[in-house]
Amino acid sequence: MLSNRETAPGHFHMVLGLPVPIADPVPGQFVMVRMPDRLDPLLARPLGIYGFSRQAGEARLELLYRVAGKGTALLSGLSTGRVLQVLGPLGRGFRIVPELRTVILVAGGIGIAPLTFLAEHYRGLPAVVEGREIVCYVGARCSEALVGLERMEALCSRVVVTTDDGTCGACGIVTEPLGLDLPSFRPGATVIYACGPGAMLRCLADMLRESPVPCQVSVEERMACGLGACLGCAVAIRSGENALSYVRVCKEGPVFDIHELDWK
Amino acid sequence: MNSTGNRPPSLAVSIGGLTLKNPVMPASGTFGYGEEYAPFADLNRLGAVVTKGISLLPRAGNPPPRIMETPAGMLNAVGLQNVGVRAFVAEKLPYLRQHDVPVIVNIFGEAVDEYAAVAEILSRAGGVHALEVNISCPNVKKGGIAFGARPESAAEVTAAVRGNTDLPVIVKLTPNVTDIVEIALAVESAGAHALSLINTLLGMSIDVERRVPHLQNITGGLSGPAVRPVAVRMVWQVAGRVKVPVIGVGGIVDSASALEFLIAGARAVQVGTGQFVNPRMTLDVIEGIEAYLERHGMKDVQDLIGSLQCTSAR
Repeated sequence: MLSNRETAPGHFHMVLGLPVPIADPVPGQFVMVRMPDRLDPLLARPLGIYGFSRQAGEARLELLYRVAGKGTALLSGLSTGRVLQVLGPLGRGFRIVPELRTVILVAGGIGIAPLTFLAEHYRGLPAVVEGREIVCYVGARCSEALVGLERMEALCSRVVVTTDDGTCGACGIVTEPLGLDLPSFRPGATVIYACGPGAMLRCLADMLRESPVPCQVSVEERMACGLGACLGCAVAIRSGENALSYVRVCKEGPVFDIHELDWK
Repeated sequence: MNSTGNRPPSLAVSIGGLTLKNPVMPASGTFGYGEEYAPFADLNRLGAVVTKGISLLPRAGNPPPRIMETPAGMLNAVGLQNVGVRAFVAEKLPYLRQHDVPVIVNIFGEAVDEYAAVAEILSRAGGVHALEVNISCPNVKKGGIAFGARPESAAEVTAAVRGNTDLPVIVKLTPNVTDIVEIALAVESAGAHALSLINTLLGMSIDVERRVPHLQNITGGLSGPAVRPVAVRMVWQVAGRVKVPVIGVGGIVDSASALEFLIAGARAVQVGTGQFVNPRMTLDVIEGIEAYLERHGMKDVQDLIGSLQCTSAR
């Protein structure tokens, strides 16, 4: 661990140096992070990748996480120099569509982490289209829970902020300003990417039900193995008329087409 | 030959006529159908592979959330999600056949004739070396617990599977009973070639803020190091009473925990939840057992099995 800094109350930015070869992660992929030699907590924690770079032969992995329970609380207390067990990159990340002109990001709370990595990826792509714009809608409970805003602002053409309590940006939920702008998005030239709490994604799924604009969402579920073996991270998808089946967030996801998932 | 010039100790064991190159295998339900862990642990190095439980028809499994971490363990209520025996034979078994490792297929059913039907299909499939009969999964309301919880029904399932296969039959016992020895003896009498124990302990965990269960299924099976002392005790009790080999399962997270089971009388061990902690756990356990034998001057793992020394009477 190279650093582990609290950037907002309960939110941490961790940088890890990886001494072993690792494949270039795709935005939206995750890693399983565990404190070795600890059996309580037992399991690794799935964390979305916030950034990745190679410097002088060493790969650097950045994670942005919120303290949500025992595992992340312990992670947040670790100091530089600690050795962690990291498994990854795992899962299917966001599908990149380089020829589209407008990239819309919808981030709820800590959901900004994988979307920042995605925005950075789009910024680094060769210019297939002139003047690609990246617009990000960021929502959080309050101004103190708005994390990673500066970095996102540097990558986007425009960032729209909402907070539930109105302490920063517009007062309300993030899907409200998005809904107002939705009719102006050109269907063949726009893609939406979203990551955030279940309630936000459900609201987005409702809003986009009749929309021709494609939307990819990154979802969260508790995980044990991260490799597709334990079937613990199942989410329901629609498979034909009224039929439901389960897919693994760690393997078929964490990124899905928003209309593929069952939001009931 | 190792660094000291001695022959490395023999790790081979025999289970129901099946020879394993070492006594370490994954536990059913934690290893998928073999492919998921292959990048981390060469399947050819394992004593055997044990597949996820297979039923006659595919099963979708339980709605999420399906798992919850608990102190030094986890609860799961996956609900025996699987592709069904026909898809398993057509799509999953060919991958396993490419390897030089015995394939043990875990099977279950909601009725005795379902167990028998799955056993028959797998026996004719080719590339299956043994069956492990799950009479103990706590997650399914109709089958599972009902069969494994009573000696009569446990024996009935065992006999039905035996009658429909020439493969070695391993019966996996549930710890959620008053007297596991009674069940073990009944299953042995009905013709089981080996026993594996324990399956998960039925448990529950509650989100106190919201006052709801953490699992959608309300209850689930507890696994991980938290259950190990219970598993070691049951293996010791059963191994002392049956003649067939016992496979020890429950909370193995390093070679020391595997050694506990072997010393208690298990002829082999299965690593389950431990693989989630470290995907190359099976190999670490194999290497650790070998190192232990060398350190203790033992030439054969057989010298270790059941070598518990008690100064007090059982």
